[in-house]
Amino acid sequence: MEPIKTDLVVLGAGPGGYAAAFYAADLGQKVILVEREKRLGGVCLNRGCIPSKALLHAAQTITSARESEHRGIVFGPPTVDVGKLRTWKESILNRLAGGLEQLAKMRGVQVMQGRGYFEDSHTLRVETDQGQQFVKYDHAIIAIGSKAAMPRDFDLGNPRVMTSTEALEIEDIPENLLVIGGGYIGMELGTVYATLGSKVVLIEALDSILAGADPDLARPIVAYAKKAFSEVRLKTRVGKMATSGKQIKVESETDGQKKEELYDRVLVAVGRAPNADDLGLENTKVSFDDKGFIHVDEKQQTTDPAIYAIGDIAGGVLLAHKATKEGRIAVEVIAGEQSAFVDVIVPAVVFTDPEVAWCGLTEAEAKAKGIAVLVSKFPWAASGRALTFDRPEGMTKLIIEPDTERILGVGIVGQGAGELIGEGVLAVEMGATAKDLALTVHPHPTLSETLMEAAEAFYGHATHTFARKKAE
Amino acid sequence: MDLKLPHLGEGADSGTVVNLFVKQGDTIAKDQAILELENEKAVATIPATAPGTITQIFVKAGDKIKVGQRILSLGDASPVGAPQVAQPEPAARRNREKLIQTPSPEQVPDALEQELPEPGAEGKPGMAPAAAPSIRKLARELGIDLTRMRGSASGGRIVLEDLRAYIQKLQRLAAAPRAASAAGAPVPKPAPERIDFAQWGPISKKPISPLREVIARRMAESWTTTPRVTQFDEADISALMALRKKYAAAYESKGARLTLTSFALKVVADALKKHPIFNASLDEVAHEIVFKEYYHLGIAVDTDAGLIVPVIRDVDKKDLVELSRELEDLVGKARQRKVSVEEMKGGSFTISNQGGIGGGHFTPIVNKPQVAILGLGRGVMKAVVRGTQIEPRLMLPIAISYDHRVIDGAAAARFTVDLVQAFENFKEDDVKI
Repeated sequence: MEPIKTDLVVLGAGPGGYAAAFYAADLGQKVILVEREKRLGGVCLNRGCIPSKALLHAAQTITSARESEHRGIVFGPPTVDVGKLRTWKESILNRLAGGLEQLAKMRGVQVMQGRGYFEDSHTLRVETDQGQQFVKYDHAIIAIGSKAAMPRDFDLGNPRVMTSTEALEIEDIPENLLVIGGGYIGMELGTVYATLGSKVVLIEALDSILAGADPDLARPIVAYAKKAFSEVRLKTRVGKMATSGKQIKVESETDGQKKEELYDRVLVAVGRAPNADDLGLENTKVSFDDKGFIHVDEKQQTTDPAIYAIGDIAGGVLLAHKATKEGRIAVEVIAGEQSAFVDVIVPAVVFTDPEVAWCGLTEAEAKAKGIAVLVSKFPWAASGRALTFDRPEGMTKLIIEPDTERILGVGIVGQGAGELIGEGVLAVEMGATAKDLALTVHPHPTLSETLMEAAEAFYGHATHTFARKKAE
Repeated sequence: MDLKLPHLGEGADSGTVVNLFVKQGDTIAKDQAILELENEKAVATIPATAPGTITQIFVKAGDKIKVGQRILSLGDASPVGAPQVAQPEPAARRNREKLIQTPSPEQVPDALEQELPEPGAEGKPGMAPAAAPSIRKLARELGIDLTRMRGSASGGRIVLEDLRAYIQKLQRLAAAPRAASAAGAPVPKPAPERIDFAQWGPISKKPISPLREVIARRMAESWTTTPRVTQFDEADISALMALRKKYAAAYESKGARLTLTSFALKVVADALKKHPIFNASLDEVAHEIVFKEYYHLGIAVDTDAGLIVPVIRDVDKKDLVELSRELEDLVGKARQRKVSVEEMKGGSFTISNQGGIGGGHFTPIVNKPQVAILGLGRGVMKAVVRGTQIEPRLMLPIAISYDHRVIDGAAAARFTVDLVQAFENFKEDDVKI
């Protein structure tokens, strides 16, 4: 069969891949987008960001109803129709994926459904339903992402042992759920199931949950988990798992103490692994690191001059918005522009209850790297808006460069932190100073004021707190 | 590897190479002396910080070198030298050179170096330059390294105008490297006129020593920046010299030589305690007067090479025996040029005693950043009127020069009166041992 010629082929239609394909098309390239699944959008849309947020939102209603009792608004105990919940969630995914298809069509991006396999540095074989297609390209962008890691010891072939993928399908609401891993995935899904009625035990190998966040930002989440989960067990390793009737028998060890327990379901959330196997990349000059991520430089270029890699498969932080940015950079480099992933601020958001978000330099990082910083905090207990919805446990903090008073990092914990961090990212990217933030009028009563007041607190004159002159 | 000039001590960041002890091809041990460096009135030997065979020497006698400057390159001690690793050019330099194409490319980087920010102005390591993403993208496209620029917006943020001004500057410099290098230099002094003295008779010439250069620079600096007044007086030291005679032998037996300067140290320390402004300094940056609660006295020492001022520390806490001993020791070291840089730092007041040579009143120059200096001449017998009698007394010429910005004339007069009285009424208890 005649190979199809194209300027660019993008392998993988997640938030990195489709953004790259669309942008390249906008810049006038002929683009083929190859996706092995029927629905576009990748993990983010199908098994990650979007469905988890839908479920978290649904669960939030239960929490809200419970919390409104003392305000004199009382609801009866909720009944949960899991099937209906799943259908609602699916409807969102379908709508978004449909939108992507439309956008691809309008741009003239050819979507090819099937598995891609590199024959050489300029040829991709795609196994579609209609048979093999060969694509001859000038450039390729690999955006095949990652999958939830499932250690071999835990892989019983029993659907009761789930990764995030299965957990998001919510087959049922188990009475007893074990969550292995206190990272953001374990915390978010643990929150969903706990709210829907499961008794959740969380096991974490390290001595803290949400290890990437500054401890003061993680503290309200720890408090939540202690209250909402039946147990948070730190410094614990899960040894063996075995099927035991309709349950899973789990052996764990904490400080030398062994324990054997039965759970209705187990969620394994111990990290994510690259998807790079069986792609024929050995037929190209692309190289990998020892964990299986593709080596790229700051232009997203792999060791094969025709091939670029972006998103999870290129390693670093595994976040959708990082993939999108890398996709745009790869496309610009291919288009001959001077572009590089340098000094890009990638915010992190954990959609727990409350949310945690941060960007730029963290306090822990500054300490580790010996960078002198000043930290200014504003507690949400002093925010009128936070009190109107009964969530005073939040906090907004700024990491400030002492000489120039430039904002190097922002950390927020509290309801809606994920929405608020955008202003922080802009401040850091723009090289804004604490003064800039303090001088900018923020609407009242909103949580966005906490950023302004944290900056004002730096100068010792926040309206709603009383602070010493300049943070120490 | 390269050997660089190590840190020499507080405030000492450069010096002149007096002697090179090694040459290319020499194999040296760690701590072996490699050169002699003259610096702020001291000569120090600089040891090698690592062993090896010298592959190249970058300095020669007479060169002024700075801390951190490369002195020499060491190869492996083994016959096969380590392969030379090509130093990647700093991106900034590459970018600059790409941008500038002129008929005389070698001149451009020099000219630029003068206008571009000092290394200190560059961003902190690991920190992105403060600029909006759009500006950073533009800079990347233009090949401009933003870390070389300082922005004008709040917090030093680089805005479009800064980038434009920077590029225009680069362009100007590239177009006229010679003119720029002249304009970029500090305001030039009028070129000193060379006079042919030989036209009037025979002459001989001697190069100015590095020490003389230092003296000349510091004297000129003090002369041009310090409004100086000198207060004269005389002290009757007949009794003091009698005390000296009485106790000289006892001091001798303790290995100390009792001199007028030993007494002067004591007298001055006491007077400074009573008049702290004479022990102060002017901080012109902070607009503050700094009062020192220590009494470290500099002693001007005449050496073959020129004037050297070592410092005796905590004079107020030492007795006359200690002071006499330390004084002799320090003067000896100074004459042999073995005083370290540290031993010449931190003085809070200076005594210059010319009595040993002769002469009367003179007008010493204030030793910055100190604010006053005591000059002593030779004590001579004079006919002095005491009451209604004329008596022969041994009179010591005293001259106190002071920085009139800090010290008023009345204060100086009071200080002088106290000083004279202290010389005249020196307590025997303070001499006794």
